Amino acid sequence: ALIRSLQPVRTIHSLVSRCISHLSRQCYDVIVVGGGHAGTEAAAAAARMGAETLLVTQKIHTIGALSCNPSLGGVGKGHLVREVDALDGLCGRAGDWAGINFSILNRSKGPAVWGPRAQLDRQRYREFIQGELRSISRLTVLEGSVEDLLVAEPSPDEPGSHRVTGISLENVLNPITASSVVLTTGTFLSGSIFVGQTTSPGGRIGDAPSSAGLSHTLKERLGLRVGRLRTGTPPRIVKESVDFALAELHPPDRRPTPFSFMNTHTRCKEQVPCYLTYTTPGVERVVQESLHLNCHIQQDTKGPRYCPSIESRVLRFPGRSHQVWLEPEGVTSDLLYPQGLSMTMPPEMQLRLIREIPALHRAEIHSPGYGVQYDYVCPTQLSSALQVKTTQGLFLAGQINGTTGYEEAAAQGLWAGVNAACRALSTPPVSLSRTESYIGVLIDDLVCRGVTEPYRMFTSRAEFRTALRPDNADLRLTPKGYELGCVSPSRYQEAMRVQRSLQDAMAALQALTLSTARCREKLPDVRVSESKNAALTGMELLQYKELSFETLASVFPERLSSYLEFSQRLKIEAVYKPHCDINKKEIERIQKEENMFLPQDIDYFSLPASLSQEAREILDRVRPTTLGAATRLEGITPAAVVSLYNYVQFAEKKGENGQQKTTRSK
Amino acid sequence: LWHFLATLIRLVSTFNGVPAGLADADTIFALSSGHGRCGVAVVRVSGSASSMALRCMAGLKRRLPSPRTALLRSITDPHSKEILDRGLVLWFPGPHSFTGEDSVEFHIHGGPAVITAVLQALGSMPGMRPAEAGEFTRRAFQAGKLGLTEVEGLGDLIHAETEAQRRQALRQMSGDLERLYQGWSHRLKRCLAHVEAFIDFSEDELIEDGVLERVDSSVSTLLAEIERHLKDERRGERLRSGVHVVIAGATNAGKSSLLNTLCQRPAAIVSSIAGTTRDVVETGLDIGGFPVLLSDTAGLRDSTDLIEQEGVRRARERCLLVLNKTDLLPEAQRQKLERELKGVSGLPPVCLISCQTHEGLQDFLSVLQSRVKTLCGDPLSDAPTLTQARHRAHLQQCVAALAQYQKLRDTDLALAAEGVRLALTSLGRITGKLGAEEILDIIFKDFCIGK
Repeated sequence: ALIRSLQPVRTIHSLVSRCISHLSRQCYDVIVVGGGHAGTEAAAAAARMGAETLLVTQKIHTIGALSCNPSLGGVGKGHLVREVDALDGLCGRAGDWAGINFSILNRSKGPAVWGPRAQLDRQRYREFIQGELRSISRLTVLEGSVEDLLVAEPSPDEPGSHRVTGISLENVLNPITASSVVLTTGTFLSGSIFVGQTTSPGGRIGDAPSSAGLSHTLKERLGLRVGRLRTGTPPRIVKESVDFALAELHPPDRRPTPFSFMNTHTRCKEQVPCYLTYTTPGVERVVQESLHLNCHIQQDTKGPRYCPSIESRVLRFPGRSHQVWLEPEGVTSDLLYPQGLSMTMPPEMQLRLIREIPALHRAEIHSPGYGVQYDYVCPTQLSSALQVKTTQGLFLAGQINGTTGYEEAAAQGLWAGVNAACRALSTPPVSLSRTESYIGVLIDDLVCRGVTEPYRMFTSRAEFRTALRPDNADLRLTPKGYELGCVSPSRYQEAMRVQRSLQDAMAALQALTLSTARCREKLPDVRVSESKNAALTGMELLQYKELSFETLASVFPERLSSYLEFSQRLKIEAVYKPHCDINKKEIERIQKEENMFLPQDIDYFSLPASLSQEAREILDRVRPTTLGAATRLEGITPAAVVSLYNYVQFAEKKGENGQQKTTRSK
Repeated sequence: LWHFLATLIRLVSTFNGVPAGLADADTIFALSSGHGRCGVAVVRVSGSASSMALRCMAGLKRRLPSPRTALLRSITDPHSKEILDRGLVLWFPGPHSFTGEDSVEFHIHGGPAVITAVLQALGSMPGMRPAEAGEFTRRAFQAGKLGLTEVEGLGDLIHAETEAQRRQALRQMSGDLERLYQGWSHRLKRCLAHVEAFIDFSEDELIEDGVLERVDSSVSTLLAEIERHLKDERRGERLRSGVHVVIAGATNAGKSSLLNTLCQRPAAIVSSIAGTTRDVVETGLDIGGFPVLLSDTAGLRDSTDLIEQEGVRRARERCLLVLNKTDLLPEAQRQKLERELKGVSGLPPVCLISCQTHEGLQDFLSVLQSRVKTLCGDPLSDAPTLTQARHRAHLQQCVAALAQYQKLRDTDLALAAEGVRLALTSLGRITGKLGAEEILDIIFKDFCIGK
């Protein structure tokens, strides 16, 4: 098997500056605002695409910071990490570098829903991301506060009523211009921090709030609809004050599975365990007693249903015991992160609450938990390239689009960065289909359906889950990414090697045929049904639960042993292939509908089609780009789809005759 | 008349130059009652210009009649003001109409000249054009007035030749099947939601115990219900397409006479179900409201082939024994025969008839009717039955997919969940949650103009 060493943090310096006067230029292809998971992926992707890129962040020091939980991946989220990695993004390799506790969730439920996950060392994660950014050519990092966007008249060649041409910085006279600007401001857009009854402006404790000018421009000048969401983070607990004897030890997987397709192993030698503990009725009591002191929880802003604060858990499901995970923050860190105890009550009540949990009976809090409320831009105003439909050159990614989670942010950031670069380099925008990736599902859900609460990825959101597996993200995305220019040649070559080997191996398995009698003789442990008369191929044999590729290869070493490197992937391919074949027709139908474009300037209210008023209003508001996107809108009935389909067919025919389309009268 | 209408329609359509269904802004009209001489003919108008048509042709200058109320008016030509007929007009303002649009009905006398005059008058007004085949139904479907199975029910209702077929179609149109399938869909959605929740959340958060076990039992129950629905011996489909009755027997037993006699009896109306005369002699009959396709054959023969023997055995189970030519038997011998027949066990019901004198024919017809009724089921009292082969195919896919869940539940929950997803998709396809093109294919095949 091929063993590659983990790529170390490289130290080739590109320009990192704390002072604008050091910048070599005033004009970039792409400017990325924000240095979180979305911003770093966006900047790195744009630079990989060949765009001169500037990343502007308030503090260079916090680039790559894990603001909340010290972990990456999980069910659905792990899929996103694998896909970002397949497109040569940063977070997968950063996870392998910084991970201190690896496990595959859902191990018993089938490879399509395995959730690769790791606890991370915060320090190492930041180091890796910062090191990577420094090593990317064409990428400049600048410390500074963005005061506003530069807005100009739209270019007549593209749809849109405004054009963003750059940014202005606080305390700096000259603006910086760019073809594309990617905003990844996270929770900083009109963010307010809540602890108990006190409120202060900001998106993260310890960081300055972002400029009011930016928020004003988005809402007032660009006319974007915004909504408000909230989130929170738990108090951090001093490790040595925890009584681990009263908590359940949860060891990680014995052999860590790397996130990245480029890594065969992870960095950490000795993994650090997690502990599980539960809430008690005392916890519920403290929540009830502190409610009147808790501003954040009293407001009815939508919080994450899937990662709720302890207050909302207790209020929604009273009388139950809730899980609390005690997660390590790093190899050398003195702190623990209590997953499940996000809270916003006054700090003294927070201490009372955690001490109601047996393992935490004498725990000390290092820093209290707090809540954040922030503006998000309703993502139905974005195209599938994550560009604001009405504003040329403005791209949004991450929490600003109403999502929650590092992985969701990274995925959007990468794709926004790719498209920001496409625009700067004058190539057409690109989108990922929900039939080929979770990133496609994520973006399609956001731009078609919008959000009503912080959006988190689940495997159930993907219609073609059996095909979009964590194991095959490289085959699905790396060739496409290479074609676009965001994947390095070395990764592409590796993906091609894997693809060829898998194809060869599957051909060898298909060519290997055994009569049932020989099966029973050679593979006595496989319960081949007696009634089968026909011979079985290697692919069919691998569908038996009890047969692994290794076993099969040990019986037929001359034919199969050269593919042992791919044992697990071959087993998965064999089991899933028949199911994926069933989905093919449906995938083709969706792809066809996704290729039927709806003109962006249709006047839905005067469209001569039998559409209900409700359907017209929805279509007018969302302006789906394709028929496929329209079918997935809430409130659009199959009948309305038929009408639209008729219209598209009709419009195409008319277009061929050179006649006019129905367009919105201005 | 039909040729004339067709020519007229073709002319107007060409003039209009709009492909079917693409210019829904037009107001459409058509003769909605049957073609040919009849007492009353109904002309239907649907679209935004309906009220204008009503005002111009029924002399209602000031205000429209109250909705859905019949009004007796003189119907005039909008241009020449010549009176064309005197009849009822009904005004159905949208959305409370069949199509969901403003609609008008003219109930006029059924003579060809009157109908032609009214249709010509309608066509002479701006924004009006004759309806394409199935266009009223399509507009109703697009306005969300009808679900897909309801549309199919309507298609059947229009094509229904017998009373029982009419009842079944009406029942389907009123949404009984739709409700049955929607109910299953709803339950399957719950199952799926639980499986998905288990996949996405069971590792992270506390998921109640027994979630999957509850899904298991729901899936089993559903599977049993759908299988029972499928095992209706095709009653609904049979009622829809007709029960095949074969007259078999020795040569010169009077098989053809029986066929001819049945065809001439008032109790058995010879009908013209499309496709009836597909092979040798097959005649469509309405027996007590049930459709019957009667055919004359060479008869059953003893066979050594195992499969054929089984076929013959099954055919015998559904037999009626008809003994013809009773008029040739003296009364005493006839009574003796009847007595002896009663003594033989294992015989099918016996009917003694004479095609010559029509003796015993009435009894035979009622026995046949009760047999046919058992085969078709009572479309009103029983659970809704499967009426379309399309539904059967989707339900079979659904059953197979649920079996996949059961088979893979313990080895690969993702693939098992895929089974539930497929099952739900299959059910959805029955009730119309399909891709745009598929919906089009299904709906817009089978309709006649004006319906």
